[in-house]
Amino acid sequence: MKTTKNKAMIILFLAPALILYLFVFLYPTTRTFIMSFFKVEGVTDALSSWKFDGFDNFKTLFGTPLFVSAMKNIGLIWLVGGISVLLISLLFGVILTSGVLGKSFLRSVIYLPNVISAVAMGTMWINYVYNPDFGLFNSFLKLIGQDGLAKTQWTGPELVFWSMLIAYCFGMVGYHMLIWMSGIERIPVDFFEAAKLEGANSFQRFSKITLPLLKGVCRTNIVLWTVSTMSFFVWSQLFSPVNLSENTVTPMSYMYELVFGASSSALTARNSGAGAAIGVILVIIVVVVFTLTQRIVRHDDVEL
Amino acid sequence: MKKKLCSFVAVVMTCALALGGCASATPAESKSSAGSAASGAAAGAAKSDVKLTYYSMWNETEPQGQTITQAVDAFKAKTGITVDVNWQGRDIRKTLQPALDGGEEIDLFDEDLDRVNGTWGKYLLNLEDYAKKSYDTTSSKPFTDVVSSKLIDLARSLGPDGKLSTIPYQPSSFLVMYNKDIFSKAGITSVPKTWDEWLADCAKIKAAGKTPITEDDAYIASLFGYHMARLIGKDKTVAMVTNKKIDDPAVLTFAQQWKDMYDKGYISKNASGNIYPAGQQEIANGSVAMYLNGTWLPNEIKGSAPADFNWGTFAYPAIGKDGDGTDSNQFGAQCFGINKDTKHPAEAFQFIVWMTTGEWDTKLAENSIGVPMANDATWPKQLTEAKAAFDATKTRYPWAVGMENDSDINAKIKTNFALLVSGKLDAKGFADAMKK
Repeated sequence: MKTTKNKAMIILFLAPALILYLFVFLYPTTRTFIMSFFKVEGVTDALSSWKFDGFDNFKTLFGTPLFVSAMKNIGLIWLVGGISVLLISLLFGVILTSGVLGKSFLRSVIYLPNVISAVAMGTMWINYVYNPDFGLFNSFLKLIGQDGLAKTQWTGPELVFWSMLIAYCFGMVGYHMLIWMSGIERIPVDFFEAAKLEGANSFQRFSKITLPLLKGVCRTNIVLWTVSTMSFFVWSQLFSPVNLSENTVTPMSYMYELVFGASSSALTARNSGAGAAIGVILVIIVVVVFTLTQRIVRHDDVEL
Repeated sequence: MKKKLCSFVAVVMTCALALGGCASATPAESKSSAGSAASGAAAGAAKSDVKLTYYSMWNETEPQGQTITQAVDAFKAKTGITVDVNWQGRDIRKTLQPALDGGEEIDLFDEDLDRVNGTWGKYLLNLEDYAKKSYDTTSSKPFTDVVSSKLIDLARSLGPDGKLSTIPYQPSSFLVMYNKDIFSKAGITSVPKTWDEWLADCAKIKAAGKTPITEDDAYIASLFGYHMARLIGKDKTVAMVTNKKIDDPAVLTFAQQWKDMYDKGYISKNASGNIYPAGQQEIANGSVAMYLNGTWLPNEIKGSAPADFNWGTFAYPAIGKDGDGTDSNQFGAQCFGINKDTKHPAEAFQFIVWMTTGEWDTKLAENSIGVPMANDATWPKQLTEAKAAFDATKTRYPWAVGMENDSDINAKIKTNFALLVSGKLDAKGFADAMKK
């Protein structure tokens, strides 16, 4: 009876969000999906100018070397970056929840890169860390007498991808560390105390209690990492600011150029249909990863 | 009751926020609508009680934006016409077309000459008739008689149906920008016109303790395009891109010549890792003498270069007997276009004339160390030599001689050139990699 009386209020509360969702999210999503099967030049071109071309946009993309490079790059960022970030952030999370002195301060310091704009962070890395003449890396190598290594071009074609990945991961560790910490802090202290009384050492407590009870958090971290990786754009732009490079291109930066044209050359052809197809591919990847994560990292009876 | 009242207030506030967001999303629309309602001007003569909406490619804080702000105020004082500038910056590349397609009332806009005519050509008004008329700042002559005919011809050739539909301004040319003090110190008395002279001058610059030339990821494709055009000519160079095959035997010659530049230490040791704008900073700090770049360079690095930086400019040297000479160079401009659906074409064109002739054309060039449009305007002293090279140019190269028309080819050039000038790839390796 009470629920029925509240129906009007429920509808009233839901309506603004629902309407906004339909117009701001669902409409562009549906339009993008449909657009991926059409030949469309400009993203706002009238529907009458769209030409149906089936899966041609997808075929063209996978036949384009730059898009293939973009997929390889994003794959490496997801896998290598993901493993590194999640492991390092887990390590920091465990250390900071183990009663270490200055926890709040250290947590803030590790999280700090997330507060700073990615553009500022990228500029810092490129100019003050990777600069071959006065950057941190080469200055340090010179200091320790490694003059040969101190000539390394960190942003040259052979290393620029890894330099970009390190810079990106540096900023992401703090974010995932906080998620790990929230999971660890939810585990009742009694579990650890009981284990201690039974004579379990730190590693045993970590592997037998902490890790199994972090499965849900692990899943969350993997999904969040996947979503943020698929939208990898700013760092790609920072490491190739004017036009695309094989080593730094990602699906998002390639999509941007296809949809809006190149910034330096006005003659580069636009192809919003192919851009939409990239969007669809990224969505499929996220959904697949999410589904697999749900299946592989299952909830079980010890989940809190 | 209190709970219900709170809930009701919360819902009202949510709706108000949402609706408020919608309302504030289109300020330009409401303003321009007010402007159009107040006008109704006929196409021929300009009226004074008009408000124009101008989508600008500049940011308000750039020298160009600052000058345009002053010019808009002066224009209002002189004509009574208000120009409402919507500062889009380079984001105009993605915001203009949706705004035009969405029916937003935009009277004029600007961007690169190739882009406005090529990408947004269908939105442009034919300006031939307006350009034939005389205006206050054209000394009773037709507008087209007082501005650069080379650029007007270019705009016409790029325009829809070959009609003049945009008015160029802030012209630029792509040339070798160099530090004249380093040249003097090295004992170079005249700029190189051939590859042999170029190599001889590089040797002198190196002997003087400076690095002859630098490069960065943004302009490598232009360097490759220029060099190839000097070896085999513009048409064959562009054809390689059109056919998606960078396989001309001259690619090996290019690689041998630039490998030679690397081996002799004539190119910056940082060139392979320079991410834009790192290359031009090597010019600004005086460690490198030359850089193949646009005439916009003095403005771009004026913040980091000494105020008395002694700028010089020359055309990329001639190289092969089958290639182009120094009278072939890329040049272009930004340009104004008028929306074909505008209600105020005469007033919009009047503003364009205001910006491209007389006082404001000169001020825009001065403040942005750029090139003026009017024939009688003086070029900034930093670009004195650029004017001679621009005037001597007979054949226009497209941007990067076409090398950036294809993103795959551009990316391939960037990677392989960086490997070539870091000793990781030999000449044959470069040519083979470019064929793949």
